[in-house]
Amino acid sequence: MEKEVLLEVKDLRTYFYTEDGVVRAVDGVSFTIHKGEVLGLVGESGCGKSVTSLSIMRLVDAPGKIVGGQIIFKGEDLLKKSEEEMRKIRGSEIAMIFQEPMTALNPVYTIGDQIMEAILTHQDVNEEEAKKQTIKLLDLVGIPDPKKRFNEYPHEMSGGMRQRAMIAMAISCNPDLLISDEATTALDVTIQAQILELMKDLQRKIGMAILFITHDLALVAEMTDSVAVTYTGKIVEYSDVRSIFKNPHHPYTYGLLESIPSLLSEKTKEPLPAIEGMVPSPYRMPKGCHFNPRCPFATDICRKEMPELKEVEPNHLVRCFHPVNVKEEVS
Amino acid sequence: MRNYLIRRSLELIPVLFAIAFVSFWLVSKMGDPFAVLVLNPHVRPEDIQRLRHIWHWDDPLVVRFWYWLKDFVWPRQGWGLSTLAPGQTALQLISRRIPVTIAFSSTSLIAAIILSIPLGVYSALRQYSVADYILTFFAFFGMSMPTFWFGIMLIYLFAVKLHWFPAAGYHRAFFIIKGVPVMFDKAPRWMQFLDEAWHLTLPITVLTVFQVGGWLRYMRSSMLEVKSMDYVRTARAKGLPERTVIYKHAFRNAVIPIITLIGLSFPGLIGGAMITETVFAIDGIGRLTYNAVMSQDVFVAMALIMIFSILVVIGNFLADIFYAVADPRIRYS
Repeated sequence: MEKEVLLEVKDLRTYFYTEDGVVRAVDGVSFTIHKGEVLGLVGESGCGKSVTSLSIMRLVDAPGKIVGGQIIFKGEDLLKKSEEEMRKIRGSEIAMIFQEPMTALNPVYTIGDQIMEAILTHQDVNEEEAKKQTIKLLDLVGIPDPKKRFNEYPHEMSGGMRQRAMIAMAISCNPDLLISDEATTALDVTIQAQILELMKDLQRKIGMAILFITHDLALVAEMTDSVAVTYTGKIVEYSDVRSIFKNPHHPYTYGLLESIPSLLSEKTKEPLPAIEGMVPSPYRMPKGCHFNPRCPFATDICRKEMPELKEVEPNHLVRCFHPVNVKEEVS
Repeated sequence: MRNYLIRRSLELIPVLFAIAFVSFWLVSKMGDPFAVLVLNPHVRPEDIQRLRHIWHWDDPLVVRFWYWLKDFVWPRQGWGLSTLAPGQTALQLISRRIPVTIAFSSTSLIAAIILSIPLGVYSALRQYSVADYILTFFAFFGMSMPTFWFGIMLIYLFAVKLHWFPAAGYHRAFFIIKGVPVMFDKAPRWMQFLDEAWHLTLPITVLTVFQVGGWLRYMRSSMLEVKSMDYVRTARAKGLPERTVIYKHAFRNAVIPIITLIGLSFPGLIGGAMITETVFAIDGIGRLTYNAVMSQDVFVAMALIMIFSILVVIGNFLADIFYAVADPRIRYS
């Protein structure tokens, strides 16, 4: 059964025009999120994940600029909307949680005030009703003693509690899409697990779709339905989560998966394999496939041409001239 | 909040005491105030000795400080050498001179706040626009202009050439009302006020321009810094109108460091007043200080230093309170 498409990003390009040259932070990214689906956007730092999410919100600051593509949300192109129309979508239909709960909340206003603000902006309710809703939300995201917490300032709360407050703010208007930009990265592992559990739980309850941005593949396995792996502003592999974990085709995805420590592996005594080298400087992209300097399978063609995103299995897209085939290699 | 205020006020006492002692020590190094008397043929050496003794000048520094402190808290007559009229205490003299200084320095303080904060915000919101460059130019002009030179230039232009404002003084000696001369003190209040305002326009301008430049730049950079903070992005992601994002979320955070800056500017304000009063020949406290120091009247000079210190300390105290009001992170600590 085909699910209803909620968001379709088509060939999105967001470039940064800096003094040192043009940085193609997002360079032709396309993906689709269905209603209630969780899509993971994975990649190392500097691969354009955050810029992709900010582009969807149309919150890219100068010198960044969305130069091409379409962002079709509920059948309408967000890039064609006026700032005022966009403002009405932000926070009500598309909400966002950021990486740093320490700095994402305004230090001079109480968290209750900050959550209430979103409700008052998008819903036709009075202050008293908004306050009631806020307290209910704080309770829903698992903040103990919500009535008291309503009047507390961000600095009086722990990182985990602040991220819960951020989630409460994000879901306050029942958004159709929640963008979680590394929302658990800055938290302790135990708190991280709690927050993920909470997000999953809320996703089931509210039925919202999530764009789950992370560099941590282990979280992807736990949270998402499908995965897009990005490298230097381009998607290099795109498939449902099972297929990617079972059968990664792109050498980069393969490398990322290899570098996850495993308790069950026999190789626990060996050092963890890592992808050689680093993400190339945005000002000096290698010719051909951007991954070629780090790729163990690179050949001449990889150094000359950028491969296209091709379907190697049904619904499994890979941008590689020499896709790895794990099934064959392992057996 | 009440405990915070009480604790902070009590902390002022040792601070003022320390300021008093250090400045007393420094002022006593200024020279022998009785040395000038040697030149006077009518004063016998024995009299000088006697005076030294009366003023405790022959005692050790700490003892002298103690007598001075006592005299400062309970003023006695003739406490001062050359700047005082007979039978006048230093505090009487100061209290007669202080209103005009407070009037024009507090007016320029308020004017500078009212101008610099909105202009700084405006400059930050339109970074690198023509308006931003013009404001930046004037900010640097104000900051780098020596107050005495700027004052003289204003006098030359607006008093000497254009005759719009008077060149000196802070009020006229008398008014002519219906052809009859009326002394300033006898004139109606509103006439006194308007006349003083007219006289003080140029000095207030000098002091204001000087303050606005720096504060505007600070406000601009503070606003620019806050504008790129995560919580401003969060506010936008909530779908708030841009006005709310800027004036509610960014502004309140950006203004916090400026409050400290304004609190710290109190000494500069009084120092600036000293120069401005000299340039515009205003008989305020600044000019009195200058005269007291020049005529080696250590007693009046010391009293003035203490008054300044109290003003500065109170200024910082007020800034701290405003700071606590603006920033919840320090409210009850």
